[in-house]
Amino acid sequence: MPPRPSRAEARDRAMTALTAAALALTVLLLAGLITLLAVRGLGAFRVRPLDLLELRDGSRLLVEIRDRERIPAGLPGAGHHRIRARTGNRDLTGNDFLWIDESEIVHRSRPRDAALLERLEWGPFLGFAAELRRDGAVLARGPREAFEAARALLPAKRAQWERIRELERGEIGAVNRALERLRLERRALARRALPPEERERRESALAASIAEQQARYRELAGRLDALRAGFERERLLMRTADGREREIPLGHVVRMIRPNALGPVARAGVYLSRLREFLLDEPRESNTEGGIFPALFGTVLMVLIMALAVTPFGVFAAIYLREYSRGGPFVRAIRVAVHNLAGVPSIVFGVFGLGFFVYGVGGVIDRLFFPDALPTPTFGTGGILWASLTLALLTVPVVIVATEEGLDSVPEIARQGSRALGATRFETLVRVILPGASPGILTGLILAMSRAAGEVAPLMVVGMVKLAPALPLDTEYPYLHLERKFMHLGFHIYDVGFQSPNVEAVLPLVYATALLLIGVVLVSNLAAILLRNRLRRRFASPHL
Amino acid sequence: MPGVDFRIALHRRLADGAATAIVRGGGFAVLAAILGILVFLAAEAAPLLRGARVDPRPALPLSGPPPAAALVDEHRTHAALLLADGRVVAMDLAEGSRREVAALPGPVAGPALAEPRDDLLAAALPGGRVALLRLHFPVRFEDGERVTGVAADAPELFELGPTGPVLALAARLEPDGTAVVVAATAAGGLLRIDRRVEENPFTGERQELRRRSELTLPFSGSVRALALDHRGATLYAGTAEGRLLRWRFDETARPIGEPELHRVGADPVTALLLLLGERSLVAGTASGELSLWFPVRPSEEATALLHRIREFPPLAAAVEHLAPSERDRSFLAVGEDGGSALYYGTSGSRRARLPAGGEEVLAVAYAPKGDGAVLADARALRPFDIDPGHPEATLGTLFRRVWYEGYPAPAHVWQSSSGDDAFEPKLGLVPLIVGTLKGTFYSLLLAVPVGLLAAIYASQFLHERLRSVIKPAVELMASIPSVVLGFLAGLWLARRMAELLPGVLLFAVLAPAGALLAGRLWGSLPRRLTASLPAGSELAVHLGALAVSLAASVALAPAAGELLFGGSFPGFVRKALGIPYEQRNAVVVGVAMGFAVIPILFSVAEDALSNVPRSLAAASLALGATRWQTVTRIVLPSASPGIFSAVMIAVGRAVGETMIVLMAAGNTPLLDWNPFTGFRTLSANIAVEIPEAPAGSTLYRTLFLTALLLFAFTFVVNTAAEAVRHRLRERFARL
Repeated sequence: MPPRPSRAEARDRAMTALTAAALALTVLLLAGLITLLAVRGLGAFRVRPLDLLELRDGSRLLVEIRDRERIPAGLPGAGHHRIRARTGNRDLTGNDFLWIDESEIVHRSRPRDAALLERLEWGPFLGFAAELRRDGAVLARGPREAFEAARALLPAKRAQWERIRELERGEIGAVNRALERLRLERRALARRALPPEERERRESALAASIAEQQARYRELAGRLDALRAGFERERLLMRTADGREREIPLGHVVRMIRPNALGPVARAGVYLSRLREFLLDEPRESNTEGGIFPALFGTVLMVLIMALAVTPFGVFAAIYLREYSRGGPFVRAIRVAVHNLAGVPSIVFGVFGLGFFVYGVGGVIDRLFFPDALPTPTFGTGGILWASLTLALLTVPVVIVATEEGLDSVPEIARQGSRALGATRFETLVRVILPGASPGILTGLILAMSRAAGEVAPLMVVGMVKLAPALPLDTEYPYLHLERKFMHLGFHIYDVGFQSPNVEAVLPLVYATALLLIGVVLVSNLAAILLRNRLRRRFASPHL
Repeated sequence: MPGVDFRIALHRRLADGAATAIVRGGGFAVLAAILGILVFLAAEAAPLLRGARVDPRPALPLSGPPPAAALVDEHRTHAALLLADGRVVAMDLAEGSRREVAALPGPVAGPALAEPRDDLLAAALPGGRVALLRLHFPVRFEDGERVTGVAADAPELFELGPTGPVLALAARLEPDGTAVVVAATAAGGLLRIDRRVEENPFTGERQELRRRSELTLPFSGSVRALALDHRGATLYAGTAEGRLLRWRFDETARPIGEPELHRVGADPVTALLLLLGERSLVAGTASGELSLWFPVRPSEEATALLHRIREFPPLAAAVEHLAPSERDRSFLAVGEDGGSALYYGTSGSRRARLPAGGEEVLAVAYAPKGDGAVLADARALRPFDIDPGHPEATLGTLFRRVWYEGYPAPAHVWQSSSGDDAFEPKLGLVPLIVGTLKGTFYSLLLAVPVGLLAAIYASQFLHERLRSVIKPAVELMASIPSVVLGFLAGLWLARRMAELLPGVLLFAVLAPAGALLAGRLWGSLPRRLTASLPAGSELAVHLGALAVSLAASVALAPAAGELLFGGSFPGFVRKALGIPYEQRNAVVVGVAMGFAVIPILFSVAEDALSNVPRSLAAASLALGATRWQTVTRIVLPSASPGIFSAVMIAVGRAVGETMIVLMAAGNTPLLDWNPFTGFRTLSANIAVEIPEAPAGSTLYRTLFLTALLLFAFTFVVNTAAEAVRHRLRERFARL
């Protein structure tokens, strides 16, 4: 029997326990957050079974069951459980989701022929295949036969769809841009003082090129029409659980599965195919379906441009502070500045970026170099360059602090040795100090990039759009379009999660996007931490 | 050392010099960046606080009959003057040339007026007649140049009957032909003539209906000034006895009840004017005083009564003319002595004085866009350029209570836009500042205890090896993008808060209890056993205890919710506490922001705590103090500046955080501290409003001002934190 603890000891135990609980809670919160995101994010692409529900009022519904909960107090049927079911078929019923009181369900089954069609428009369709038709003639009939016949045709249809999109984006887009350029040239010509015959010559040349482009446009449009006509030939007649019919052009179907008939391998295949679509395809239906590739690409490109801007700025400043300055009020002022820059709210950088970069610098660039396009702004509106520069300003302190740490880790003896051997300060810096400090600089850069990747508030102000028509990097001269608007993962989360009319339907996608963003950020942070630890160990040897 | 050449090759020296310059430049650039941001924000916000600017343009000479009323077109190319002989001339404001555009059927014999809202000139003519003349300023383009013309409809006559001289006149003329004329006569009564034009929808035949009615004053007085609102639904009259009367009329132009009677002052009321929106009335008196009135509803059911809202800085002489802006609630007041000034109704401030011309001003017009004015006396027409500046934003309207139209009392309001043209932006920053503080408060309420206690444990009790894992892990938490936290808070937590809250409250009780129990258990184990267990076992025990209390909370939550809150927490809050419950509220934000703030707080505080020299703690323990006594008496006091700075940095982060509050706080600018309602912070406000704010507008500059406020606040907080931390570092260096 241990002795009864004194009061001080009892308090010691109690308070220590509380502090331990606080730390445990912190760890638990972090783990909980990541688990929640991982489960919901990775679950977004899962193949869910389709349930055929027969309700007490005689109606039949084919649904994906998403959620089950107790009916809250105050609602009819409180105390029972209810399920949240995705019904799809938005074009028929007008909504995607339903709450169904479980006590209303008379019978449940999982028919093997129940099919799920992911479509280009109107969201998924849940029902049973009835007939496959080409130009009105029946190719196959019956739920299984029609489904299989349609699925066999699907790859060809997808290829056609790709061709149509390529034509629209590529060649027709190029013609449109050429026409726009010619229009601007014509405007510029109208404003210039030229002798009349010269003006006439140029004007007729311009008119000829415009006519040429227009002819080309008509030809391409004809080709597009022909492709479209072929694209819509096959139609799949689908029947819903309650017997309503709908003819769906097979070209509009992205993916078709019979979830209840799939084995585990096939399920995994569908999962991977959905994951691939998410990562590498473009969004559809105002961002609520399809992939997030443009957002991923925009984020990466913006972060890279930002890194180009922030590296020299931050590294030079750190070298100045650590290697060149001799202290004094000026250096103290810089340190205060660095410290404060790190604490300034990010939205303030956004406001500054909008006023200074977009309206200030961008406005001047537009007046000097793009006067023909005015009043439509070119650089005088939010774009990837201004977003990158704004974020560069935001992340400078991170780079400075990490670089200084890296410089500190280079022993003083190395500097003195180099100088004693006759090297100039610059040579010492380049040959001795920077190689030693490079892991520190790299760490800072990674941290800065991961901070920039996750920062959204300033970008909302200086250059983000819901849906960018074109990537800022493409095969058209000058390849990198710094003035273009771009999409961003973080903003995508905000926009899709909070501005979309059908939040329930998009939530899984938003979870997946959030998981991707957090994954990118955490992995790069982890890399930075590991790098820093290696750096510390390398120079921790006491004899230097 | 003979023979050794210490000179350095030129290119090496050049390279060195260039590198030095570039590196210096880098250092300087950081300082320039922070100063640049500060200066730029301040420069963008500064024009808010400047008054209006008035620049006189060269006066244009007038000869012949003196002017009686004036109008200016939208682009300020012409002034239309009604002259005493009844002619209307258009005067080109650039060249000074004039031409006649219309003539009234007689000379002006009594008061004349200009109503810019209807492009209307009106005057009393001899023989008890009143003439109304509507002007047009058609715009056409010639060779890409804009040319504004001046044209007039035929004058319309209204017979007052045998009345004697007219003392005051008010008139409105709607585009559909509805006209209202009110005249005050020497006999002491008011005459009102209504004219309606009805068009037969089938035949297109137009029929004019006129109605003449008389109004009597409830006391014997003489009316000096009149004002009529849109379609004549309300009539205001100011008397020589300093009284203000207000009649309201029904659809058929019959007065509803008796007029309201108010006292403006001892001096006669000489001018009345309805401001934009036609709810606020400015009254000017013979002593130069100016006051603003609008109807206020004393309670929900009661009818609105006219209320004296505020005073303006007075003119030096009797108020002779008042001219409204069609853009905002500005107006121009002109005194008997020719002195004039520009006022803004909502702030009650005088924005600028116009240079006096030395003569009595006979007619005045304020340009429709608010960017100019003309004052006419007997000998000259004096045009002015006016830069109105940003009248809606003054220190008073930004930071103090303002009594807005339609509000029962002065209030702090932020409401920057609305679909209505007559809407007035309400730019009170106080709701946003309170929202920011509310968000910060509820965030720190969770984050400070958890972060600090965790830091104490990690720095004092945790095994070194485990600490080197846990500290970076918690710091990793700081890098979670706030948009992810905001998304989870707004779309996951906010929806579940109501059902989770009983469990959370239960957890808040069970977790410490479980922790105490686990601590008791751990402490009662023999020392020999605990010492032989691997490092981190104590933390593992606590993690286990926490998991158990979490599971218990989840399991018991429905029962607890039923027992404590009758099943529905929001219902309980609304009914039992009598405060509203919103889904996106301060508690949700507090929890989400905890994720952002705890790691920072933990990291800085842990650094401060573990920098306290080990020797101090060792000495204390050796003297027989318990671990906790050592922490509270030795370690915490030594590290207190560091902890202060940790809290300060956390405050700075919470104040500036944008995405979490944007997504989880509902963004309604409210003024309360209720934990279950939403709020709007300064930073979220910027994110919400700046896409709608045109560059250079009042709203745009106000948002820059809020950015400057945020910048200044975090600057102060961070500098204080850094200074304190610096002192701490010096103190430990001596130990």
